[in-house]
Formats: sequence, C-alpha cells, structure tokens
Amino acid sequence: MSGTISFWHAYATDSPEVKTIDEIVIPAFNEQYPDIEVQALAVPYDELRQKLVTAAAGDQLPDLVRADIGWVAELANLGVLVPLSAEMQQFDELASTVYPGPLETNRWAGEYYGLPLSTNTRVMLYSSSLLGEYGLTAPSTMDDMNAMAATLAEDDIFVFADNGAGGWNILPWIWSAGGDITDADVSVASGYINSAASVRGVEALASLYQAGNVPNVILGDSGGLGPWEGLEQRVYATIYDGPWTFAYFGNQYPDFDLTSAPLPSGAGGSISVVGGESIVMTQSSGNKPAAAAFLSHLLSEEVQLEMARVGQIPVLESLGASLVDINPYYEHFVEQLQTARARPATPAWAQIDALLQAEVWKAIRGELTAQEALDRVAEGADALLAEYR
Amino acid sequence: MPGFALFVLIMVYPTVQAALISLQKWAPVPGGRSEWIGLDNYLKAFSDPVFLDALVNAGAYTVVTVPLQMSIGLGLALLLDGAMPGRTVYRVLLYLPVVTSWVVVSLLFQYMFQSGPGVANLIVVDVLGLVDAPVPWFLERWTAFIAIGALGVWKGVGWAMIVYLAALTAVPRDQHEAAALDGAGRWGRFVHVALPALRPASIVISILLIIGGFNVFISVLLMTGGGPANATQVPLTYMYQQAFEFLNFGYGSAIAFSLTLVILAISAVQYLATRERKGG
Repeated sequence: MSGTISFWHAYATDSPEVKTIDEIVIPAFNEQYPDIEVQALAVPYDELRQKLVTAAAGDQLPDLVRADIGWVAELANLGVLVPLSAEMQQFDELASTVYPGPLETNRWAGEYYGLPLSTNTRVMLYSSSLLGEYGLTAPSTMDDMNAMAATLAEDDIFVFADNGAGGWNILPWIWSAGGDITDADVSVASGYINSAASVRGVEALASLYQAGNVPNVILGDSGGLGPWEGLEQRVYATIYDGPWTFAYFGNQYPDFDLTSAPLPSGAGGSISVVGGESIVMTQSSGNKPAAAAFLSHLLSEEVQLEMARVGQIPVLESLGASLVDINPYYEHFVEQLQTARARPATPAWAQIDALLQAEVWKAIRGELTAQEALDRVAEGADALLAEYR
Repeated sequence: MPGFALFVLIMVYPTVQAALISLQKWAPVPGGRSEWIGLDNYLKAFSDPVFLDALVNAGAYTVVTVPLQMSIGLGLALLLDGAMPGRTVYRVLLYLPVVTSWVVVSLLFQYMFQSGPGVANLIVVDVLGLVDAPVPWFLERWTAFIAIGALGVWKGVGWAMIVYLAALTAVPRDQHEAAALDGAGRWGRFVHVALPALRPASIVISILLIIGGFNVFISVLLMTGGGPANATQVPLTYMYQQAFEFLNFGYGSAIAFSLTLVILAISAVQYLATRERKGG
C-alpha cells in the first residue's frame, strides 16, 4: 500500500496531544506502512465543524476526520461520509473491541458512519477539604445535594455551578431524574423530553438556582466567575466536568485538592452524558485502503494507550482495567461511563440543543415552569426530527 | 464592457445564486439533492417568532443609535469647525474608533460591560448611583442592547462628524455674515443658515446609518451570540446561525433577502419623505 492520506484531528496544540500524534503515533504507523504518508492537520476544535462544512461544500474534505461524536450523524446525512459498516472490511472486527455506548453515536439510518476514538463524560468535581470543613462528603443523592445547599448557603457558597444550560449541561439532570430525550429510534420527543421525570430533573436544577444556590454563569453570564475559577476560589462547592479539568488544574492550581465523585443519583440513577470523538472516512477520499489502515492503527491498543497517557480516555474495552494505572483520576470517569448515555444521534441535534438551551434557560430563571419549557422543546424537536425521519 | 463583466461576476452572479438557494431546501454538498420549495422559506421567516423578534431588535437598535450618532456627530463637527488649538488632533482621535476592528472593540466592550466589577457597573453603581447592585448586562434583552448600542454609537459618531465637517465647510461664509448683519445670534445662524445647508448631508448620513443599523452583526455575534435564549438575536446573527450552525442554507438565504426587502422598503419611504419636503 502506498500514497498520501490527510487527517484533520483537532487535538490540542497546547497539550502533549499533537506531539504524541506527530512523534509517536504516525512514526509507528510508518514502520508498518513506510510508503503511506500521513498529513495530519491540527484544526482548533471550535473551528473544525465550520471548516468541515465549508470543505464539504467545496468538495475538499480530507481522507479521515476526528470528529466530535455529535457531528457524525449530521455529516452522514450530508452524504459526505463512508458507511464503514457497509464498506470497510475490518469494521466488524474493530466494532467488537470498543464500548457499545460510544459506538452507537456513529449510527445513522441503519449504518455506522464512524468508529469511536476517544470517550469522556462528566463527573462531579469538588475540593474535599472545603466539604470537610463543613463535615460534608460528596452528595450521593439529589436529597444530599439539597441538604448540602442549605448548609453552604449560610457562608455564601454556591452548592453547584455550570456554564450553560445546553444538552451537555442539562441532560445529566434529566436522565438522573429518570427522564429521557426521545424514543429509542430518535423519531419523536413528545412524551420523553416533557415526561414527568424529565420535568423533575429540570425542576431540581431550577429550584436550586431560584433559591440562590447556583450562580448566574449557568445562564451564560459573561464576566461572571467561571466554574473552574469559582471552584478554585472556594465560592462554588461542586461542578460537573470532564477529565481535562484535572490536566488544567494540574497546570494552573497544582495545590488544589481536586477530587471526583459520581454524579448524585436521582430516581433514574447516576446518569451522565457521553462526550468524545469518532474517526470518520470521507466519500471524497482518494485512497480508502490506506485511510482504512491508518484508521485501524488509531484503534490499536498501542495507540489508544499512548493517547490515554495524554488525557484521551480509550474506547477499547480491553484497556478498561489498566486505565487507573495510567492516570489515577480516570477511576470515576470509567465508573461513570458504565451508565453514561449519549446525546441522540440525529442531524437535527444542533438545532434541538439550541432549542433546549433557550427554553431551559427560561425555566431556570422562572419565566416558564419546567413543564411549559419542556413542552415547547418537545413540540419543536418533534418537527425537527420529522424532517430527518 | 470589462467593467460590466466584472460587475456581473462579483455582484450579480452571487446575488442570483443566493436568491435561487433561498427558494430551495438546499443541500450544501456538491451532488446533494436540493428540493425546490418555492416561497416556503420566506413564509417560514415571516411567521418565525425569532426572526420577527430579531427585526424588532435591529429596529430598536437603529431607532436609538442613529439619532444619537447624528446629533453627537453634528455637535462635534460644530465644535471642531471653528478655530481652536489642536483641532486636527481631536478630529483624528474622534475618528479613530471608526477605523478600529469591530472584533477587538466588541470584545473590549463585552469586558467593560461584564456582570461583576466592570467599568460600566462602576459608572452606574458607584459614580452615578443609578442602581444599587451591579447589573448583569448580558442576561436581559434591553440591558444587553445598552452595551451593544453604546458600542455602535461610540464607533459611529466619528464618521457622522467627518461627513458633517465636510458639509459645514461648504456653507458659504457670506451667508453667515449676512445673517449676523441682520442681527442673528449664534443659535439663529445655526438654525437658519447651517442647518438648511446640512440637510443633504443629514439625509445621506441617516440613510446609510439606518442601513448599517439593520445590518448590525459582528458586535452582537461576539458580545451575546444572539443569546440568552435568542433574546438579542438580530437578522444577521440569526441568518448566520441558521446557515452555518444548523446548515439550513436555504432558510439563511431567505432571511438575508427578507432583510434586504425590509431595508429597501424603509429606504424608499425615507427617500420619498425627504424628496416631498424638498419639493414643498
């Protein structure tokens, strides 16, 4: 096999990720395939989606893309991705090695258009010494969280902070309360996103905000104290966030005793949201066999372990047990991933997410009841989902 | 002839193309199947509460910022028209905001209007004592537009000033002198000599500023992104969101053309109104 393949990845240039790709992952691939040249391009994460859309319109897509799991269905719907389950020989073999949850995010219209590359989720993060001063431990249920809110409010400490009300932020509250977003086929939202359980999830957060226990940053307040800064300044007791928080705190606040715990349970359990990235192959790829070879390489144990060392949680089930040896802080993330769920895989997600954010925002402020807000989301989401059915 | 060809290539072709896109459920990918849906995108726009609110927002922004830019610009022009030391320096300094980057100053104003101890809160709480507690400017529709409008006025007065200064130099000196001989004071000369002479300039300035007001984009995109909950959406941020975030290029094009129609209508009314008075 020979030729050149291009790979857009959005690994962070200000962390060791890009260095690992360029100096370890690609050279290891070239030991096996010396005649394939891999041209890797680090696009800033915020710009990648826009760049992909522009490149798709101009028929200038690279061979392989490391895409956010939320973009796969959308790109597949545009018709620019190769349905790997139908056209890639090694697909079944590779698919059997990865976690089923992240794999499902690649499914659109009956085919798999990508394979998971890295995964992550949100857990509860806090300072154990701060909670210790009040004789508290991490809340394991929503009732604990409410009790904790009352204790901390006496000293003007917010029990919880988050920096938005979109799906990434709000779905853990809905799922943990026993709610849901759509039916299993992602064809209808009514009766799911506005069910009594979903409403209770949003109400739990809204009532904490309205009682003054959650700061304004959740409403997108610019210039307000962000979750990380507030946690470090001991103004916010807990936040929900991903594994990158440990890397950031390690650099910025090395003395801070950042501690993790599973999300507090509600009636539905302790259910967080799956994030992460997939690897997808484009229809315009001029060298699909070489692209498939590099794709398989990225899912090898060797590469997944290297990337795990720089903060990317692997997707191979076989590596689950050894993760804590690489980074001790992976412990609760791996545990939380057992039950974490993915946002619905639909090309309409970006629009549903914007709608959810706008309406839940009003519910948190008390302009609408949680039921009214989620009824509006259900109505809008039904119409959007119908367009892609 | 080459000029016309160039005009067709860079103005007419993209406009026609965008108009065609606005009539389709458009697939952005080459070879994708686009569906002709006629005027559906336009009907959707004018029954879409977010787009209608966006028009109201842009209208309110225009109604407030245009008169402010014109009156402050005129005041500065009158001040700097007379002989005074350092006149050129002041003219340059007041024009500077016009040539600064929208991106830079939008981020700067966002910082000044931050919810905590920003400059804006320092002024309204500590200096003026208008409110007791710091205002979370970007959490409410109209407080957010105070910040966005303040930036618009700050950035626009220099341009209005320069146009008025140019117009003032064209007012014949002897008319001023004649009016002074007839016993007109400074105010009388301003009202009866300068203002009528500035009328054509005012019409041009107002038409261009109103077009600019409805096209407000970068400041809103960077300061609020149209949020929270679409409260500060203006037509162009909504167009941008529909086209480039949701990939609804057909609907985005329809929004852009609808905005053009609204602006054309307003400009036409304005043109007819000013022409009539001139005739009468």
